[in-house]
Amino acid sequence: MSLAIYDRQMRIALLLIMAAFCQAQDAGATHADWLHYGGTPFSWRYSALDQINTANVQNLVPAWIFQTGDYVENLQATPIVVGGVMYLITPRAQVFALDAAAGKMIWHYRWPAPRLGAPGTIADFNGNRGLAVSAGKVIFGTADNYLVALDQKTGQEAWRVSVDDTKQCGCSITAAPLVVKDKVVVGGNGGDAAHRGYLTAFNINNGRLAWRWYVIPGPGEKGNETWKGDSWKFGGGAPWLTGSFDPDLNLIYWGTGNAASDFFDADRVPDKTKNRDINLYTASVVALDADTGKLRWHYQEVPDDLWDFDSAYEVLLMDRQVRGRMRKILVHMNKSGLTFVLDRTTGEYLGSFNVAEVFNWIAGVTENGTLVGRNEPQLGKTGLFCPSAAGAKSWNSTSYSPRTGFLYAPVNEICENVTSNDDKPKEGRTYMNGAFPMVLPPNRNTYSHVDAWDPVTGKRAWSYPYRFVLLSSMLSTAGDVVFTGDPEGNFFALNARTGTRLWSFQTGAGHRGAAVSYSVNVRQYIATTTGWQQTVVGGGALGLFPQENWRQGSTLVVFALPGASK
Amino acid sequence: MTLVVLLLAAAVLPAQTVQDVVRHGEDVFAKTCASGYCHAAKGAVAGGAPRLAARGFSQEYIANTVARGIAGTAMPAFGENLPPADMVAVIAYVATLNGIDRPSLPARLGAPAPAAAPLSPEATRGRELFSDATRGFGRCSTCHEVNGIGIPVSTAIAKIPADPAALKALTTPGVSSATIDGETMPILMIARRAQSVSFYDLTSVSPVLRTVAPASVQTRDGSNWRHASAIASYSETDLAAILAYLRAVTR
Repeated sequence: MSLAIYDRQMRIALLLIMAAFCQAQDAGATHADWLHYGGTPFSWRYSALDQINTANVQNLVPAWIFQTGDYVENLQATPIVVGGVMYLITPRAQVFALDAAAGKMIWHYRWPAPRLGAPGTIADFNGNRGLAVSAGKVIFGTADNYLVALDQKTGQEAWRVSVDDTKQCGCSITAAPLVVKDKVVVGGNGGDAAHRGYLTAFNINNGRLAWRWYVIPGPGEKGNETWKGDSWKFGGGAPWLTGSFDPDLNLIYWGTGNAASDFFDADRVPDKTKNRDINLYTASVVALDADTGKLRWHYQEVPDDLWDFDSAYEVLLMDRQVRGRMRKILVHMNKSGLTFVLDRTTGEYLGSFNVAEVFNWIAGVTENGTLVGRNEPQLGKTGLFCPSAAGAKSWNSTSYSPRTGFLYAPVNEICENVTSNDDKPKEGRTYMNGAFPMVLPPNRNTYSHVDAWDPVTGKRAWSYPYRFVLLSSMLSTAGDVVFTGDPEGNFFALNARTGTRLWSFQTGAGHRGAAVSYSVNVRQYIATTTGWQQTVVGGGALGLFPQENWRQGSTLVVFALPGASK
Repeated sequence: MTLVVLLLAAAVLPAQTVQDVVRHGEDVFAKTCASGYCHAAKGAVAGGAPRLAARGFSQEYIANTVARGIAGTAMPAFGENLPPADMVAVIAYVATLNGIDRPSLPARLGAPAPAAAPLSPEATRGRELFSDATRGFGRCSTCHEVNGIGIPVSTAIAKIPADPAALKALTTPGVSSATIDGETMPILMIARRAQSVSFYDLTSVSPVLRTVAPASVQTRDGSNWRHASAIASYSETDLAAILAYLRAVTR
């Protein structure tokens, strides 16, 4: 073989390796469009756009602002952008199509006032975290448990299907649906009520039921034996956020909610001596066959959850070198802040790290992932637990940059005083069996931080402290910038490699939603929702800082560089 | 105020001291208001909802708010959801949290509201079966709303079949057929408009309310849809119990 030919073959081989690497690097990145809740079905919330970068981010200015007019609760939905059109949903399921470059309204759809659920249950709150766009349809869930599809061009309703009866189930849909090929998969909340959680898939073209997977196996199904008596009927586990999809493995990944009742387990745990696989498949990450919804594997992060530590959050899919071997992994943060790295083909535990600085619910985790030194709420006693049920992180998402290899996480340091009770379940009514007022941990003057974690080594690269709480999703970009917002109204940018604050803009209302990046005619935009959440975790967090005035609102603010071409 | 007055008038309280009522109110508060992501225990600090203690609320304000809720917020109207005695007690309790040591209780307690006749054991079982969540979409309440439970795909049940056999043999003249893109499906027509046609597609449960352009669909009377297949998850005994329930509540 001549040297020239050898050289050419080497070069081709190198190019192929690089192409494969780039493919893995790029599988989770968005480009001009922001097509899914998590950016792509890999849920990285990472944009490959780099027009806005660490050198010029301080020049960002508002390009347009859109006020939804739906001020009952905050704007928390991740916008979707397709071909220069933005689709946005408000807390009461008003849907807007907007010109993504100019903010001009193209169409507007209004879901009729829903029949809300029983007072005090989660089904009685307003809020919507996003919609899905695919196959010419704009698809979203509602507070009264409908899944609705609109015509993408006109905003006219194409179909709607009832997923459950709000008056009965104590559940509602606030999560964005996930499009998987010709189906749309949606989860619901209600796991804090006497309810049995499930995922449901519908045919995207006609709304017909494709499959339903119950988080809690029924009688005769494997896993039902992990429940005491009839407790499986009301055992919670609701998968209340949005999953991920790996087309190569044809698997969808979803995190499931806490077991119910949240703070009292004697009525649901058959064998208290076990330390694995209790109350399946609550507080777990599951892999389901994308076509049939059949369970392929599960990993339970919190067996016998007694702290309301759902595993419902986003599942980030990536390919990384782990102990010398390239592996298809997933990274998943539990509400406790314990973050799991699993082989996403098999569910094998590869490692975990804890992002919370203040915690006392466990002493630690063994090499094989078993929780040790569990500190459980005791009936009849009030105990201090950290983190709180609001989470070391709330439902707002992390972000992953393939350029830095870091997972960016908004982490809160909040504790709670739990007083549990042994009430019996009543279908569709709150079934938490505990009061849990949040308290601040002592001897700190900052109660949150944005962190950069290497998920493979489990090491924190940097941490940016913040005085109050951080409850908005992260966005990272190929410009090596990380964006998020705070409750005081600041939307800010950090250097993705160092954590240095580069830029900030006062948007006028607190941040409890998400930012996305997209481009129209080569101009890059950064769009963020604004508006502080007045109920649930947002309201509770404000109670910790009564001197503060974090403003509500429902406005989208969109930034761009002034010099960029239009 | 009318609603509150009516509620107070209807309250049924045995001879109780204010202290007993407040104590009961504390219990109601703990289970109803301080549960979940709402007010914290004893209203002392903000949970997901505001702090309630030492806010200077008047008893009238508390009574109105508990009964009617606060529009546009997560504070629900408990007037329809709490038994009158619990309402009175929880209002009195929150009053004590606001420095009203001797909250006023209804002076003259009215006669109890006529209680609904209790359901027979069979009808009670029928009520559970009607909306039995363990059957997924294979339950009556997927398509019928009775006593506020269920999705009203079908119009209200007007005539109750005599027995399970009649329930299975039920003819459904309202169900017709539609053909879209060469596929024929059983439907329940909802609206024909100049610009669109809306109907429930009954091919699968839960039925799908579809809206299509008039030109894209052909419809005809009759269908191959059978009520018997929609109720296939139930046994004969189950169906008899459901019929007993329907007869009891539509008397």
